Amino acid sequence: MSQGASGLRAWLLQRATALYLAGYAVYLLLFFILTPPRDYGAWIAWIDNPLHAVGLMLFLGALLLHVWVGFRDVLLDYVPLFPLRLALLALLGFGLAACGFWALRIIMAPLLI
Amino acid sequence: MKFRVYRYSPESGLKPYMQEFVVETTRGMMLRDALLAIQEQDESFAFRHSCGDGVCGSDSVNVNGLNMLACTTPVAGLRQPVLVRPLPGRPVIRDLVVDMSQFYKQYRSVEPWLKRQDPLPEHEVHQSPEERDKLDGLHECILCGCCSTACPSFWWNPEKFLGPQALLTACRFLEDSRDQAAEERLDALAGPYKLFRCHSIMNCVEVCPKGLNPTKAIGRIKAKMLKGSL
Ligand code: SF4
Repeated sequence: MSQGASGLRAWLLQRATALYLAGYAVYLLLFFILTPPRDYGAWIAWIDNPLHAVGLMLFLGALLLHVWVGFRDVLLDYVPLFPLRLALLALLGFGLAACGFWALRIIMAPLLI
Repeated sequence: MKFRVYRYSPESGLKPYMQEFVVETTRGMMLRDALLAIQEQDESFAFRHSCGDGVCGSDSVNVNGLNMLACTTPVAGLRQPVLVRPLPGRPVIRDLVVDMSQFYKQYRSVEPWLKRQDPLPEHEVHQSPEERDKLDGLHECILCGCCSTACPSFWWNPEKFLGPQALLTACRFLEDSRDQAAEERLDALAGPYKLFRCHSIMNCVEVCPKGLNPTKAIGRIKAKMLKGSL
């Protein structure tokens, strides 16, 4: 079961997150072309809308998961040495988690004021 | 016509090198004929071949960087000097002869035979024309190895990743209406390595001399797995 999960689930996760990332990228592009926020206040107002905040957080989550699967693939392909692979995977995991929390703090900050 | 062929003999103690030969071409000459002509010039030159008609899959070689069957490749269209090397990523036994054990091992690992749970009927197991059609593009494989030895994922993980050929065969039995071991077969392909090292690079599709599409077959296996797990 866990064997199946690490193959099929990772693959599915990669496809699903890719869909959201692609959709959100189009949205972001249109957003910056049509109604670019002019100043900090405009950004705060934008993120104040829960829809925007949740969309952005989902984007963040999808991005991190997508990066995780992609880098994991690279490590599984090119690092046959198990201890090294384990260490690099752990490093990657911690790094991505750190990025995630940091970004979350940035998104949440204006909401907490 | 100028050929540069890969020469290596482990017993000689020499490093592998490319040796140049000039071959008089004839009309309709295939690369296999040219290799035979080279062998006439130098008897120590070794390569595998048998049927000479693209059926046995013995004479797969790497020509100007692409894997192909020597017997079905006309020399006329080849860029000169024609560089002929052994299939990439496999241990060289001598000259163009490589050790394909790993490749056959992966083939065997997908248990390429029909499995039935029901008792076998007196007569043959029937199959409708539509059910038979599903095997087209899967059963024609001649095990030449062009695809798997062109696959980067197979180069990096030949022990763990089954490679396009074995996966195409796995799909062939999963699609067969007479086979009753689909779940068992799919379970055997689970995990990150056996199936999921395929990143749809599609070198296999480019080189298959039978025009088969292992990448598509791999996609069909993934779809079946997904269906079985949701
Ligand atoms: S799928 Fe094509 S390239 Fe691969 S072993 Fe079979 S015939 Fe050869």
